[in-house]
Amino acid sequence: MAVSESAISTPPGGRGLSLTSKRILRHLAILATLLIVWELSTRLGLLDELTFPRPVAIVQSMYELYLVQGSIWWHLFITIAEVLAGFAAGSALGIGLAIIVGLNPLVRRFLKPYVIVLEATPRIAVAPLLIAALGFGWSSKVAIITLVCFFAPFVNTLSGMLNVNEEAHQLFRSLGANKRQIFMKLMLPDATPIIMAGLRLAMASALSGALVAEFISANEGMGVLLKRYTASLNMASSFACLLSLTALGFLIFRTMEAIDNRVVFWRKDERAATVGRRRAAAWHRKMGA
Amino acid sequence: MNAVARPVEREETSAGAETVISGRNVGKTFGNGAVVALEDANFDIPKGAFVSLVGPSGCGKSTLLRLVAGLIERSSGSLTVHGKEIDGPHEDVGMMFQRATLLDWRTSVENVLLPTEIHRKPTKADRQRAIELLTMVGLKDFAFSFPAQLSGGMQQRVALARLLQTGADILLLDEPFGALDEFTRERLNLELMRIVGEVGATTLFVTHNIGEAIFLADKVMVMTPRPGRLAHVVDVPFARPRELDLQQTPEFNAMVAQVRDILGEH
Ligand SMILES: Nc1ncnc2c1ncn2[C@@H]1O[C@H](COP(=O)(O)OP(=O)(O)OP(=O)(O)O)[C@@H](O)[C@H]1O
Ligand SMILES: [Mg+2]
Repeated sequence: MAVSESAISTPPGGRGLSLTSKRILRHLAILATLLIVWELSTRLGLLDELTFPRPVAIVQSMYELYLVQGSIWWHLFITIAEVLAGFAAGSALGIGLAIIVGLNPLVRRFLKPYVIVLEATPRIAVAPLLIAALGFGWSSKVAIITLVCFFAPFVNTLSGMLNVNEEAHQLFRSLGANKRQIFMKLMLPDATPIIMAGLRLAMASALSGALVAEFISANEGMGVLLKRYTASLNMASSFACLLSLTALGFLIFRTMEAIDNRVVFWRKDERAATVGRRRAAAWHRKMGA
Repeated sequence: MNAVARPVEREETSAGAETVISGRNVGKTFGNGAVVALEDANFDIPKGAFVSLVGPSGCGKSTLLRLVAGLIERSSGSLTVHGKEIDGPHEDVGMMFQRATLLDWRTSVENVLLPTEIHRKPTKADRQRAIELLTMVGLKDFAFSFPAQLSGGMQQRVALARLLQTGADILLLDEPFGALDEFTRERLNLELMRIVGEVGATTLFVTHNIGEAIFLADKVMVMTPRPGRLAHVVDVPFARPRELDLQQTPEFNAMVAQVRDILGEH
């Protein structure tokens, strides 16, 4: 049934609802059923209210946290700021270092063993050490996220640098291109898809990194809030925090996906067609002028 | 129809046309002499000639091309282009490979403009030229498509247009259509012959296919392996323009047999 429904689209202007709204409705129905069952089981004492707060209670504390108290906004902001700062620092460092290493065989040989050792070290294990070194403030959190965000962009950029198509390289050389041109016009754009994949991985782990860092030690941020509510057995608010983090994670994922699709437009037929049309228009404007 | 098969006297090459590429005892070894890729190659290629290079895999065809392109250094002998020793990539020489090696993030016309961009900011005339060349290879309507939107044959046409955009008068083609199906390859060969004739370029064309080598060329250089040697140069006397059915004539088949014999002797 699911197969035939996703394979056949309703004709435009046909009777009833469109396929997507049907699908959304179905999922809403499933979700509503789940929530009602959950709500009822807690009310009837089948689920322990202490560990599984009622959905209604969660919604209530959502309202409380965001609209009455409002301090959650600050914690959310702190966590997002940490994630962005750590991600920016980690990926800039990873990409930059990989480019240096990739372009220079000597550096490559010299650095390789250290990179391997570093990669074998579980990143989070370094967190307490970083906190000891940098204190409980902002910088240690950002440093931990930086560390978490460093490797995927580094490894991916490096493999992009080292796997440049040999014939394309020869082509550039036969055209008399210099090193800078080969880097800017061939190696960098050629490595972009794999670099973007690295950035997406990094971003995906940045939020977890931030929360772990905040769990270990911090006095603000969503991790702190979550820990505080759990410790005081305010489970409804804990779940509200968790829900907020899920939404944040989803937003981050979608944003990275959208950026990826824009940057690496040539991998997606539709995007490529759009960009092609735009470039054609720009070309004709230039030639006409 | 069958008149095309008539052998003719060749004035251009025999009457001492200017030699464009010249090799004297050219040798190339890899790995400090462990692999002899090419040994004692002697040849003269006259201006405007179409020369095919045939020989089994590993006999040094690509090596010879890369030497002429200035991508690798010869180990011995002398190799000149326009009378000057080759000491690196040269703008008179353009190269094309078995794979199109287009840049995926550039449209066809942007790919064609690449050779110009390497040397200067493209002018309006350069852009016009790029469109003209795409028109010449039959891809006017695909100027703003990306490589992923093109078939393998179309990608090779773009690569050919890019090669012509370099303005090089020496074209080095390393099995340029080798990865394509027979039908597409035959058509592209015909177009290549026409286009190269139009621009009057000197062409070195590597192929595994003896028939194709003879059909396209003024001279066929036959190479043999271990070590890579230039065994023989066969002059191809058929008049131009040539039609596909030239390949059915006894004269043509005799020539194929002759080349095959040379290859078989070694
Ligand atoms: N960079 C290199 N390092 C070491 N050996 C090489 C290198 N390039 C080519 N060779 C060797 O030189 C010989 C000739 O190679 P070449 O690529 O010129 O052959 P080819 O005639 O083009 O073969 P094919 O028809 O398969 O393309 C081969 O034995 C090859 O292994
Ligand atoms: Mg080869």
